[in-house]
Amino acid sequence: MSKSEKITQKLQAMLPEDDVCRDESYQGGVVFSARVPLGKLRDAIKEFDEAGYYLESIAALDFQDTFELVYHLNCYEPRARIAIRVPCGHDQSPATVSDIFPSALWQEREVRDFFGIQFTDSPDMRPLLLPEDADYYPLKKTFGMVHAYHKRDEIYG
Amino acid sequence: MESQRVEPVIKFALLEDILNLARANSLWPMTFGLACCAIEMMAAGAARFDLDRFGAGVFRPSPRQSDVMIVAGTISKKMAPAIKMLWDQMPNPKWCIAMGNCAISGGPFEYEGQYAIVPGAHLIVPVDIMVPGCPPRPEGLIQGILALEDKITGGEHRNYLRRFRRKGGQGQS
Amino acid sequence: MAEQFQEPIVEQIYTLNLGPQHPSTHGVLRVLLDLDGEFIVKADPIIGYGHRGHEKMAENRTYKQFMPNTSRMDYLSGLLFNHGFVLAVEKFAGLEVPERAKYIRVICSELNRISSHLLWFGTYIMDLGGFTPFLYCFDDRENILDILDRVTGSRLTYSYCRFGGVTRDIDAEFISMTRAFIDRLRSRWTDYHNLVTKNVIFIHRTRDVGVITPELARQFGVVGPNLRACGIPFDVRKSEPYELYDRFDFEIPTGTKGDALDRYNVRLQEMEQSCRIIEQALDQLPEGSHINEVVPFKVRPPKGEIYFAFESARGLTAYYLVSDGSPYPYRCHIRVPSFGNLQVLTEVFRGTLVADAISILGSIDVVIPEIDR
Repeated sequence: MSKSEKITQKLQAMLPEDDVCRDESYQGGVVFSARVPLGKLRDAIKEFDEAGYYLESIAALDFQDTFELVYHLNCYEPRARIAIRVPCGHDQSPATVSDIFPSALWQEREVRDFFGIQFTDSPDMRPLLLPEDADYYPLKKTFGMVHAYHKRDEIYG
Repeated sequence: MESQRVEPVIKFALLEDILNLARANSLWPMTFGLACCAIEMMAAGAARFDLDRFGAGVFRPSPRQSDVMIVAGTISKKMAPAIKMLWDQMPNPKWCIAMGNCAISGGPFEYEGQYAIVPGAHLIVPVDIMVPGCPPRPEGLIQGILALEDKITGGEHRNYLRRFRRKGGQGQS
Repeated sequence: MAEQFQEPIVEQIYTLNLGPQHPSTHGVLRVLLDLDGEFIVKADPIIGYGHRGHEKMAENRTYKQFMPNTSRMDYLSGLLFNHGFVLAVEKFAGLEVPERAKYIRVICSELNRISSHLLWFGTYIMDLGGFTPFLYCFDDRENILDILDRVTGSRLTYSYCRFGGVTRDIDAEFISMTRAFIDRLRSRWTDYHNLVTKNVIFIHRTRDVGVITPELARQFGVVGPNLRACGIPFDVRKSEPYELYDRFDFEIPTGTKGDALDRYNVRLQEMEQSCRIIEQALDQLPEGSHINEVVPFKVRPPKGEIYFAFESARGLTAYYLVSDGSPYPYRCHIRVPSFGNLQVLTEVFRGTLVADAISILGSIDVVIPEIDR
């Protein structure tokens, strides 16, 4: 059984049925996409660490009703990428995963720089890309020139 | 940024001309590559477009040993205080070349909502020569250095060590 | 009596700033080093001196207007980034590309990969103190830039690829120049090996220096030749083949120990594999059009998202595009390989000498403006 199938079985055990979707055609670049609530984030990421995956990227999306964090994890086998989507309200704070995957430290600093999402228990929350005294969050849709600001359902249906 | 030209108290005339000739033909640049233009600056110093033949091939890493600062690349707001500090550390006489569109006016990154860059090196340091391009070809940078030499000596016809005529220089009729 | 006036020797940690203005031109990197004598106790890279706001610009530009930005993120593999962006949007919007255009894009991308590795080679040896290989490499690199200049019009920051193909077609002169260049490059390997690889000083400065174990690489998300030097044969061109790479026969070079010498060998062998790919592509090049004329002027991908990964000169790079159906992206996040490659240095620098730190930094091959975006 390949690594991606093993880890999806574990995720399916943890989460309700509709939240883990499979995409055989690999159209979106991921083979599975799982919707994980904020409280179960650290448990899910620990499963990936034990399965031998590595954290590829953490991206944040800004919608009118909520933020959404997307974690992409991959391993060294072909076509094994899995995406984890974590809805996070505008004033909620997700837990840090930098003690499980050290590469998350800089990714979380960058997300905090651009969106203002604070990660709890992180050892280092200094600005990464912006100057030290920056008090603005550039990638939020309320800053600067913006073309569109939607609710989450308008894009993902 | 304003700069003033003050008349020196003692004028040396001939000695000043000889010193300017020496300064122009041995400009030592400081390695200050910030982004993509740095690679074309390195290519200008490499084998095909040689800067050594103009006396300008000795790139000094320290500002205290260099004559000219070639600002090559986009200036971000985080980097601007460092540029000012490096300019202040350079001893006189010193000159500055702004290489590339980003150092001249912000380049392709300047738009109405831009929050992260300083649109032009002339806002921080006094710039003598601007070399446009994105990135400028190494020949363009060489053209800029030759124009700076003419500015130092006061005209191409007064640069007695030069054995050719620069295109666009004063000797061209 | 004299003992009363002698101060005891106090050993303390000395903080050294490896500043943003750096003679080894990797871009603008600042590393705060805590030194105990000559050994590094703690290393803290500080980046952001080249931040230009690419991701915010992407939300204010149409997909076609974002093309120049893609080339300027990692300027040494500008064509590779162009190629990846165009492939991502074509997959997202479902656009067709003629066969000849695909082959042209692969040939130009592999030429760009060779030029990036050549520049790394020259600047790495210059960091270690040898100036001559730098001149040799730039001479070879100028040949590649002549070839690419003919067809794209630019030397460093290309915007050559379009949605549906490429801007301009290649002619017979391009093909003969490329074949001549590959023959010339293959005859240069002996020069490079004699100058550098067999040099005793070079071997002493790179063997067992900066060892990255596979477990450390996995924890930090290290990709590219650095990962392959640890022994893990992971290459996006083989694991998620895109754009004809499943038709070519090439190998993935790997190392054993993960030190700087292995990284050097892996990159030299990768240049040879790129030459093989270019030769096969030139042999298989079909006739046809160089662009698909039917592509709409403003590309509107459907609502949704895509995560597209490709192999740039430094490793796995990915574009994550979210679209709301309009010509402007809703979110464009770029995952660059140097992000993890630089972060691993916080662990690898501990306990090394400062001179070894310069060698490790050069062998990792980071380009800072791609991290800063």
